[in-house]
Amino acid sequence: MKLNRILGIGLVLLAQLAITSCSNNDGESVDPNAPLYKTVLTNVSQDVITKTYETMNTNSQALVNAISNFTIGDEAELTAMKNAWMATREPWEKSEGFLYGPVDTQGIDPAMDSWPVNVNDINAILNSSGDITPDLLENNNEARGFHTMEYFIWGLNGTKTAADFTVREKEYLFAAAQNLHAKTTQLYEGWIASGGNYQNYFITAGDAGNAVYTSQKTALLELVDGIITIADEVGNGKIETPLNGNNGGPKPEAEESRFSNNSKLDFANNIRSIQNIYLGDYNGVDGKGLTDIVAIKNATLDTNIKTKITAAINAIEAIPGTFTSAITNNRPEVQNAQAKVAELQQLLDSSLKPLISNL
Amino acid sequence: MIKNTFLLAIFSSFLFSCNNNDDYVDLPDLNERLYAGGETTVFSENSTAFRTPAVNIYGTDLDMHLLGDTDFEQAFVTAPAQINNGLGSIFNNTSCVSCHPKDGRAAFPENMVNLSGLLLRASIPGMDAHGGPNPVPGFGTQIQNQAVFGTFPEARYQVAFETKTETLADGTVVTLRKPVISLYDSYIPFPANGMLSPRIATPVFGLGLLESIPEANLLAIQDVNDTDGDGISGKANYVWDPTANQLKIGRFGWKAGAPTVLVQCAGAYVDDMGVTNYVFPNEVGASQSNGQDGLTDDPEIADETLNQVTFYCRTLAVPAPRNITTDAVRKGAKTFEEISCTKCHVPKQQTGFNIIAAISNQTIYPYTDLLLHDMGADLADNRPDFLASGTEWKTRPLWGIGLTQVVNGHTHFLHDGRARNMTEAILWHGGEAQASKEKFKQLSTQKRNELLAFLNSL
Repeated sequence: MKLNRILGIGLVLLAQLAITSCSNNDGESVDPNAPLYKTVLTNVSQDVITKTYETMNTNSQALVNAISNFTIGDEAELTAMKNAWMATREPWEKSEGFLYGPVDTQGIDPAMDSWPVNVNDINAILNSSGDITPDLLENNNEARGFHTMEYFIWGLNGTKTAADFTVREKEYLFAAAQNLHAKTTQLYEGWIASGGNYQNYFITAGDAGNAVYTSQKTALLELVDGIITIADEVGNGKIETPLNGNNGGPKPEAEESRFSNNSKLDFANNIRSIQNIYLGDYNGVDGKGLTDIVAIKNATLDTNIKTKITAAINAIEAIPGTFTSAITNNRPEVQNAQAKVAELQQLLDSSLKPLISNL
Repeated sequence: MIKNTFLLAIFSSFLFSCNNNDDYVDLPDLNERLYAGGETTVFSENSTAFRTPAVNIYGTDLDMHLLGDTDFEQAFVTAPAQINNGLGSIFNNTSCVSCHPKDGRAAFPENMVNLSGLLLRASIPGMDAHGGPNPVPGFGTQIQNQAVFGTFPEARYQVAFETKTETLADGTVVTLRKPVISLYDSYIPFPANGMLSPRIATPVFGLGLLESIPEANLLAIQDVNDTDGDGISGKANYVWDPTANQLKIGRFGWKAGAPTVLVQCAGAYVDDMGVTNYVFPNEVGASQSNGQDGLTDDPEIADETLNQVTFYCRTLAVPAPRNITTDAVRKGAKTFEEISCTKCHVPKQQTGFNIIAAISNQTIYPYTDLLLHDMGADLADNRPDFLASGTEWKTRPLWGIGLTQVVNGHTHFLHDGRARNMTEAILWHGGEAQASKEKFKQLSTQKRNELLAFLNSL
């Protein structure tokens, strides 16, 4: 009798084991933190990524307006144009920690941010007789987008005055701004619920029928790989090539935002995009981010990551003068910034990624 | 002792019933295929899955790979310029990554006039001096549909779709679309006997592994005259290698028209971007009114740039398959074999020695024989390419195919991107694959879904 009871219990346990192992064939066991992951994925995709694109779309319309309002010779209006360009550039750089989804699959990144600019084509377009329209620029990534506009607004040496503009240049600039705004709109609409709803792939990660992210972990790893990629790009590309690209010496022509001298801010905003994804915060609104997962698994790591993000931003901002000048005249400070970005990348790659992979 | 035996018996019966939905013992064990790219294999299921360095490269090899990574992303501009000069004057796109986004597959273009990852190869009947496609006078072997400002592209592309339907055994009706791509606004008249072949840019990972499969292994699975009578032949292409001045076995491109990764990359620079290099030092349209940039700057990229990009494509990691222990995927793998898909999509290959240690002597699962097969009239481009006839195509590797959606945001397959999902791609198979396609159509809904689950696990 006693034996039978024990056997009976055993049978029940075995049955449960068998059922569990069967149902487990198609996935992993449910993580008790799954609701937290969903909150993080929802917040980051809706309130960080999509909101960043919303800001950019709003600001690119203001850039169109600023160019439309520009009167050749008016320095104040030129300044307004510069500020509007920088205000659009800021959310773009803050979006480079998440270069997946429509920005890539719809070819929006090269349409907005191609570098270098094709000066020969730009001049040929200026010297042609036809109207310069957004459509005309549609097939020429290197003659539209941020850097083409930057080239016009600041000039090759960054010294352009409001009186230096030609009517034709303003026409070009206006067309480029409209073209850029069309792209920021396309990108924003690609993510919002009433549009392409790309955010929903993150929110519903792991749900049946999600064609993109088959698990929450996969979606979280997308966030992680995105921020590692931009840390790598800033340290080993955007800083390294201008700093050492000429056989270990400076290569100023490889600096991306050199017309506007916006490079340092670009780099810092790239690291802020890491910060936004990690913390889940955007524009002063607090939300759940990767930090909330890391904190319950490894609080020390969480603190380290936050510290290294701040250190990288501070080191970039501590570079004296313009980046163009610093790669020649303040190399130790540039190297220090590069080292701080590398430390951050190393920590994300060697500690954050394994932690999320092992959730 | 008795109790233990009893418990074991109960336990076994549970285990058995758990997996015994069908004929469990016959299901293939896919665990050995987990490392699809041998030791290069990366475990990634997100948008980075195709663009990770081989997991097993280190030191100077990794440095070289990373330099190639940067080169792969560079956009070219009209010469002369401070950096990245040499675009065009006629071209299809301005950077490697524009056609191979995230090192992956291009979608069928939404707008045929715009920059895209689709291009048209061209030739007229006959052969060139090496047995390859005969260039179209004034157009060469590829139609560049873009040009630097002020220069005429060779032509614009346009598309019209033909549709047909296939009905599956369970009653499902699938409507297939066939893009018929033609030219307009050509800078000079395109000759009436000109042949066009559309090509979609493919993923670029794992290429060094495919390059390292010994030629003898590929020849061993040839069956040019179908002597085994299974309706499936398999023929190696032999194509011109300008770096060796001889014919070599073709491995790359939709018709295996390129012998090496180097020649494929060099060809892409010059034909797709108009960027001259040490393998192809002459501008693509050198003898044309629209093809001369008037500069003596060739080659337009440094030798090391071409070598780095080639190295990069040779040493990208292959993504691991997923869900390979589930019954559905294993049953799908079994069906994949039963309906003879594996006769061309040969699961397993072995690489030989390679000077790049990471890809040397690896056991890999690319699901290809790298051989040419007649795929029937519906898929035919009717444009020969060395030994490949107008109906023959090279078996595409299938590794990573299930990650196309997460990496590239679409599931457009086949040489011209006509298929909008895996089912459509299968239903376009004809010729030597006709019998397999018919068997696919006869599958029950469940078996078909299992087969798709298997393909999506790759």
